[in-house]
Amino acid sequence: MDQSGSITTPDAHCMAVEINRSIVSDEALLKTCYWFSREFVCEIRNRNDQIADVLLTSRNAASVADLASTKDAFMTSAMDFALREKIEARTSGIRDLLLAKAFSESGVLEDEPQGVFGDAVEEAKSESMFKILGNPRS
Amino acid sequence: MRLTTTGVARNFEQSIVGVLTTEHLPREKRTERILFFAAHEAIPAEDLSGYRGLLSHDELHGAPSLPYIHRLRESDHLKDGDIVVLEGNAGTVRSLYRPYEQHHHLFVTERCNSNCLMCSQPPKDRDDVEALTERNLELIRLIAAPPPYLTITGGEPTLLGDHLFTLIAQLKASMPDTELHMLTNGRTFAWPDYARRFAALEHPNISLGIPLYSDFAGDHDFVVQAKGAFDQTVAGFHQAARNGIRVEVRVVLHKLTIPRLTKLVEYIYRNLTFAEHIALMGLEYTGYTPRNIDALWIDPYDYQDELEEAVEYLAVRNMNVSIYNHQLCVLRPALWSYARKSISDWKMLYLPECERCSALPACGGLFQWAVKKHSEHIHAIASLPPDAAQKCS
Amino acid sequence: MARAFYPLERFAPTPPTFHLLPFRFTRLNGKELLVNEAGEFLFVPTGTVQSLADERLDTGSALYQDLKAKQFVYDDSSSPLLDILATKVRTKFDHMCGGTKLHIFVVTLRCEHSCEYCQVSRQTATRGEFDMSPATADRAIAMMMDSPASAVTLEFQGGEPLLAFDVIQYIIPRAKRQARERGKDLDIVVCTNLACVTDDILLYFRDEGVKVSTSLDGPAFLHNKNRPRPGHNSYEKAIEGIERSRAILGMENVAALMTTTAASLGHAAAIVDEYVRREFHSIFLRPISPYGFAVKTRHRTGYEMDRFLEFYKEGLAHILKVNHDGYRIAEVYTQILLTKILTPHSTRYVDMQSPAGEAWSVLVYNYDGDVYASDESRMLAEMRDWTFRLGNVHKDTRRSLFTGDPALQLFQASCNQALAGCSDCAFQPYCAADPVYHHATQGDMYGHRPTSGFCARNMEVITHLFSLIEENDRNTMRILWSWVTGKPLTKEVVACA
Repeated sequence: MDQSGSITTPDAHCMAVEINRSIVSDEALLKTCYWFSREFVCEIRNRNDQIADVLLTSRNAASVADLASTKDAFMTSAMDFALREKIEARTSGIRDLLLAKAFSESGVLEDEPQGVFGDAVEEAKSESMFKILGNPRS
Repeated sequence: MRLTTTGVARNFEQSIVGVLTTEHLPREKRTERILFFAAHEAIPAEDLSGYRGLLSHDELHGAPSLPYIHRLRESDHLKDGDIVVLEGNAGTVRSLYRPYEQHHHLFVTERCNSNCLMCSQPPKDRDDVEALTERNLELIRLIAAPPPYLTITGGEPTLLGDHLFTLIAQLKASMPDTELHMLTNGRTFAWPDYARRFAALEHPNISLGIPLYSDFAGDHDFVVQAKGAFDQTVAGFHQAARNGIRVEVRVVLHKLTIPRLTKLVEYIYRNLTFAEHIALMGLEYTGYTPRNIDALWIDPYDYQDELEEAVEYLAVRNMNVSIYNHQLCVLRPALWSYARKSISDWKMLYLPECERCSALPACGGLFQWAVKKHSEHIHAIASLPPDAAQKCS
Repeated sequence: MARAFYPLERFAPTPPTFHLLPFRFTRLNGKELLVNEAGEFLFVPTGTVQSLADERLDTGSALYQDLKAKQFVYDDSSSPLLDILATKVRTKFDHMCGGTKLHIFVVTLRCEHSCEYCQVSRQTATRGEFDMSPATADRAIAMMMDSPASAVTLEFQGGEPLLAFDVIQYIIPRAKRQARERGKDLDIVVCTNLACVTDDILLYFRDEGVKVSTSLDGPAFLHNKNRPRPGHNSYEKAIEGIERSRAILGMENVAALMTTTAASLGHAAAIVDEYVRREFHSIFLRPISPYGFAVKTRHRTGYEMDRFLEFYKEGLAHILKVNHDGYRIAEVYTQILLTKILTPHSTRYVDMQSPAGEAWSVLVYNYDGDVYASDESRMLAEMRDWTFRLGNVHKDTRRSLFTGDPALQLFQASCNQALAGCSDCAFQPYCAADPVYHHATQGDMYGHRPTSGFCARNMEVITHLFSLIEENDRNTMRILWSWVTGKPLTKEVVACA
């Protein structure tokens, strides 16, 4: 998953970064730019379906050395937001369920206990206090 | 001290529970009593009717019509006031309750739905609930002076179903000030209805002692030899707490629980924050333990790092923690204030080298069966520093 | 018949796949920090998040076991125990239970100090019409008791509340009677500079069980610089007031708070030493709030958040050293954050809650009956910004206060789970939302996170605390825990043998 970004510096205060749009979604890219907007003006241009160009212009005088580490930081941040999206996609359903359980009335959304009861004597009885627990022996 | 002995039984239709008397009583005082003759005691010639039964170390002549057990193997552990059960089928005499002791147990069943590798009371799949409940109800009735504490144990007490509720209700009625502690694997409490019914008993003084052996489900299930036990136990803790039932966490320390001990106490702190106490307990060399000793044994002296870390973790977070079943010479001195005299009188002894130990009065001793297996590092402590007195419980 | 024993694999099989439970992450000190919805965290090697997202982490590894035990992942070999996790999440919101617990009564705007950063109108001591009337007080007390909370705190503020001591004396018995009738516990605190306190006032407070909270910004030069007063003796009056109050009320009933100004920066250790000298056992290193006169006089009191953070870290390091040397003193901001990070619980401190404490946890009843969502909301009104005025005790009920437009707009921006920047943040369970702050500093209740001083401060402090947690120095952690539990350091038992 190689991010080939190139630094073409039209002048000393800005930097262009190439983003692979199949790895970093538009939303992830926007979030990255959101955080960088404190120090930089971010302009995004979608070159095509595969590549987005981001031009970062420093709000105050930043050296070329600073810009190099900024590129790394931007890439890392973009990848992290892409990762977060992936995780969110896998967990949003169970998160909704979790929060629904957390804020619902006690007992309303609770799961039944899982697993077998595990007592041979009780399970052999046809009528027992534990008939609701009548799970087959494992 | 001995709990059971056997002899030859006559005239029994069913088991008999009664209070031992060494003194021959007038007729009107005999109804709950079993008359006990120690070795070489003369047996009175007169009418012995009115007693529940007779117990004699020596042969009883004269063929009394009362149920009796004679020709006992041992009897010097039997004292006036002891509550015993005489079992006619095998001639067994079991001591159920000794008023002069500190630790009292109500044993309610041998059944259990777990099968812990180190179980000190290996379970039997025989339905003894009816018989034991009847016996225990009678025992409760016969206890003259309510003790401050009583432990309900087994097997797994919740397997009694409604009978457990009957027992607890009876205890509430006849000795409401007695602090009950019930040892259970907690699994049945995972069912909300059960937890609610238990709480509805509204016993004013009861807490549950529930073991947890790892923060990782698979490890806990392996130790207790029951799949899904971890999930049920943790859910059981929560349902109990939600219903206002007081809970304590128990951890037996051995080779399978020591490696994740710090992570376990962290799990307890974050998930079982409501636990009123955590007991870190030494291994008992009895029951299943000898069979599984290779998987279980670690010299307590060798896990002092982990134990100290776990105790500090909990203490710093203001959780109550105690160390049970450890000798002071084996524990780091920093941990002495957490050590309790936890071994029941009848199970406890000191080794010969202990006689010279200056910490003896404060030390809880060893289990009787520890003569077969104990730490290599038991030794007499020559002298205590001046401030040790208040540090040692 | 004896039962068989089964091996580990039967109970702990290596699962072929696993599933993720919700979590957020950040990078810290060369590692990844994972935080779940209940605020439980785990430091893991860099690359772990990627392998979790790709579902290729080794399920037989020790790392997997830790992740499973802490509810970051689950698999089909056992239950995800979602109800347990839900309970832990709910516990993190237990500050919401019962609704508004802190009720601030601004009994007067009069004050004889003229502190540069003060968010209150400077009124001379002679104007009587800036005091709370009995009718307003009655309505405010009723409104306070309408809160569902079983325990409420009544805090007197001003101006200088002791200048309206008669109003205080009017309110206290009525509040107590209503508390009894409505079955609530009532705590009463007076926030005062103590400059005009008398023994009679203190004896009254003692008899009524009232606690005092006062200001001590540091040593004399600093305190006097911050709090100009005719006579230039604010510090001397404060110390005198503290000593008198302690003599009559007891040490534990007199608290001190400091305010940080530009003048304070660089003097963290001296301020701490002053608190130690005065035998206080807690100190709150809080940044100056950007409201009221502070905004007007920014050129004198303004400073970058960076300089505050430097001040905080220096202060914290010095406080830890003082503790290590045997004197017990807690830093309150740290204590609040550590409660959220290290314990299952939430904080009762209204400025660090999500949903934001404004209105939910605190209400301010101004002298004229206007009800505000927070102290800062009222200060904004001094600058003719009534965005957070919820209503008035003479016109509103609790219901109409909470369903009016100002409240509803506030609530919309109150949950950091739903704010840009916060929704992805690993520190979300430890941080908070503050719509009033963002409205005041950025003109937008929702706030712009990258330029938010609130965000910068919390993120930096939380990061700093996580460094300490990761370092895990035994002595430091024992001290920090003693602040969290409020109990003295557990005594290390001296070696007996």
